[in-house]
Amino acid sequence: MSKSNLFINGSEGDKAIVLGNEAIARGALEAGIGYASMYPGTPASEIIAVLDKNKKHVENLYTEFSLNEHISLHGAIGASWSGIRSLCAMKNVGLNVASEPAQFLAYTGVKAGLVLAIGSDPGAPSSSNEQDDRWYSLHNYMPIMEPSNIQEAKDFTKDAFDVSEEFSFGIVLMAPSRLCHNAGALRFGNIRDRKNIKGDFKKDPENYLNLFSLAVKNHAKYLERNELLKKYLIESKFNKTINDGSSKIGFISSGVIYAHLMEAFDILGVYDHKILKLGFSFPISNELIKRFFEGIEKVVIVEEAEGFLEFQIKKIAYETGFKGSIYGKEFFSRTGELTLDDVISGVSRFLEKPLPASFDFAVEKDKELSNKLPQRSGTFCIGCPHRATFYSILKAVGFSNTEEKERDVVIAGDIGCYTLGLLPPYNAMDFLTCMNAGLSIGQAISNFDKSKKVIALVGDSTFYHSGIPVLLNAVQNGANILYIILDNSWTAMTGHQKTPSTQKDIDGKPSANVLNLKDLIKSLGVSYVKSLDPNSVKRFSAQIKSALKEPGVKVLIAKRECVLQEIRRNKSMLKNEAKVAETGESLYEIQKSRCVKCNECFVELACPAIILKKDEDTGGDYYYIDPASCVKCGVCYEICPNSAIRKVEFDLKSEFKLKKGLSEVTV
Amino acid sequence: MKKFNIAIIGLGGQGIITMGTVMKNAALNSDLQDVSGSERRGGAQREGYVETFVKYIFYENAAEMNSPRKNMHSPMIESGGANALISLEPLETLRGIKYLNKNSIVIFNKTPYIPISVRMGKTKYPEISFIVSELQKVTKHIYYYDIDAISLEKFNSLTQKNIIALGILFAKADIPIERSAVESVLAEGKGAENNLKAFALGLNL
Ligand code: SF4
Ligand code: SF4
Repeated sequence: MSKSNLFINGSEGDKAIVLGNEAIARGALEAGIGYASMYPGTPASEIIAVLDKNKKHVENLYTEFSLNEHISLHGAIGASWSGIRSLCAMKNVGLNVASEPAQFLAYTGVKAGLVLAIGSDPGAPSSSNEQDDRWYSLHNYMPIMEPSNIQEAKDFTKDAFDVSEEFSFGIVLMAPSRLCHNAGALRFGNIRDRKNIKGDFKKDPENYLNLFSLAVKNHAKYLERNELLKKYLIESKFNKTINDGSSKIGFISSGVIYAHLMEAFDILGVYDHKILKLGFSFPISNELIKRFFEGIEKVVIVEEAEGFLEFQIKKIAYETGFKGSIYGKEFFSRTGELTLDDVISGVSRFLEKPLPASFDFAVEKDKELSNKLPQRSGTFCIGCPHRATFYSILKAVGFSNTEEKERDVVIAGDIGCYTLGLLPPYNAMDFLTCMNAGLSIGQAISNFDKSKKVIALVGDSTFYHSGIPVLLNAVQNGANILYIILDNSWTAMTGHQKTPSTQKDIDGKPSANVLNLKDLIKSLGVSYVKSLDPNSVKRFSAQIKSALKEPGVKVLIAKRECVLQEIRRNKSMLKNEAKVAETGESLYEIQKSRCVKCNECFVELACPAIILKKDEDTGGDYYYIDPASCVKCGVCYEICPNSAIRKVEFDLKSEFKLKKGLSEVTV
Repeated sequence: MKKFNIAIIGLGGQGIITMGTVMKNAALNSDLQDVSGSERRGGAQREGYVETFVKYIFYENAAEMNSPRKNMHSPMIESGGANALISLEPLETLRGIKYLNKNSIVIFNKTPYIPISVRMGKTKYPEISFIVSELQKVTKHIYYYDIDAISLEKFNSLTQKNIIALGILFAKADIPIERSAVESVLAEGKGAENNLKAFALGLNL
């Protein structure tokens, strides 16, 4: 958001461009939260990040990047029981980790309002699955609100706290990445007075001591509260029916998919069907649906994933004796993101309405081209220590991309920036599922397939999340495995939240309570533990080789800070880019005459700062280090087998003037 | 109700998201106007595909703005639905072809960033002439520049290329918001001086 002060100071009448995630945070702020926490995860990270960033200007606000989602939701519950409105956020798969507190929340109930904002990730652009967390509510009874746009993201969040208090449920606020990362205009409301946010824990043994017969009693109590909530939802402002046409077809939808649906109607020029917008997708009141069914012969449910609404509505149709037909997943895919295009096509198929010609043409053109275009995947940033780590691992196990050999070690992947190591050119992972699956699955594989060595990878943030018991388990059970912790001191992938490894903040301030990772690992009973700089690739690679020969659990810590954070801290370096150019500086350069294009730097290491250029004189290509992007990590310099890379004094400006920069990169 | 859709695409690290934010902030003045559009970012990683949509909505009157049949908008742009497409990477322009119709304005940067698959020798990067001819099958309004080179030459850095591209957009397309609104957003933001220069530079290309 451009005017970040509006985020905390804005009031009724103000308008700003905000992200969906920021709108959720603002809604919570307007509702008077005193507690906000999360374990970072795309697409939800900005929800708590924006509160954390602004907290010094907000009275009585506690924020926490918890070590995992289980802890984070428990924290929110503790705050709620102390009378503090609390917001907890996580990505979809985070709820698997927090499912235990979520399971108990209906039993114990809340005191002050509690909202759990979940960023789902259909299409999995930033996740390892497409899990639709709404299904959890069928057994944990957390009510679910689904805002459709940025304004609702703010308004629903604010209202969710009231509903939470009235019915004593934690409320799930469901936002898919399309909403989390929608940026648009938000009209602000007023912020509740923050002076009186003060904790007061009142004992409530009947609700909080949830065991034996009390648990059974609490079970009955929440089923009752659920019925009350259903009744309230028959006429609440959250579920809206549009009934201004004569058609006997009714559409039901929720969340962002509802926004797609309304736009699809507009694009197809269809305006006379009955529509139900469910602001609450759980629970759904039979009476609400029964009323909607009146005068309707066909119902179409438009939603993403496996049909959570359809499941509930078909049950209600049976219970209320609806005689018409209900459609849903026949027209809208169960897998992948349901895009605006998918909704337009599905509605057009159902209504047998022709698609606009420009739409058809564009879809065909895209289909025709998409197979012809080279794929593009993300890669590590220039100078990223993970690149050096993967390079070292692959060299240590004798694997090369240019020679297309089979690699006989098993490499267990895990979740973080380093997950990109599974992509070409490294192809350095054999499996990847959830947080800390790498070492646990790897341990079993090493147990049962003794012919292969197993290397398990983990990042520092992931290790602290839930890796300590996994490592302890490996030690206790005598595993034979090499565990490489890629410790870059930050939860980098989600926008650089601190981890216990963070030594210095980017303003240079030393962190309190920095953990000594090596000591921690030793204390778990690992005797083979070494910490090295992965950018010294030869040394690191040799170390991996010798570790693989040892029995038992071996831990190598690849210790080097995320290069982006290092650069941000040394901002002066960037700010003075112009000055650098004028004064010249030592840079790395490939000597054309010595380079034999062995591809060690260009393909094996694949640093994106090393590019292909056309030789004006010969018409051939040569490898070139782009001085505007190279961050001088020196890794290519170390690995070139032909000593073709050297450090030179380089004058940026004259080079650009001479050659007009990158304009003649060959393709 | 009038709509104007802009799709902005490119790679992580090219300032794509910023372009969207600037264009959206320039549309906050009018009450009868709405703006949104989702972003797709590839985590903190570099060189992945990034896109952002800018959707301007202009209501005829308050009744339309309050009508539930009219006032809810998808954060996405449908196939063939972009009035303008800006792409900061030539190959990616072709990935954005699905947003185009015969009236769309296309502005693209012709500096290629070679994907890993090409680096490994597994595929070939398309020639600029191929890219242009494919685009021409959809629309005749195509403008391309070596924006990287222009940015380097004038600013000694690549940071300004996204704002130069916005300037070009205003020069070539009939954007329904005031140019001065963009300028005032730039004037309030970081690096105002260079950004205003870059915008003016783009306007005159
Ligand atoms: S490693 Fe050295 S010789 Fe090989 S391609 Fe790179 S610069 Fe050329
Ligand atoms: S020194 Fe070499 S490896 Fe490091 S950033 Fe520069 S080009 Fe890339």
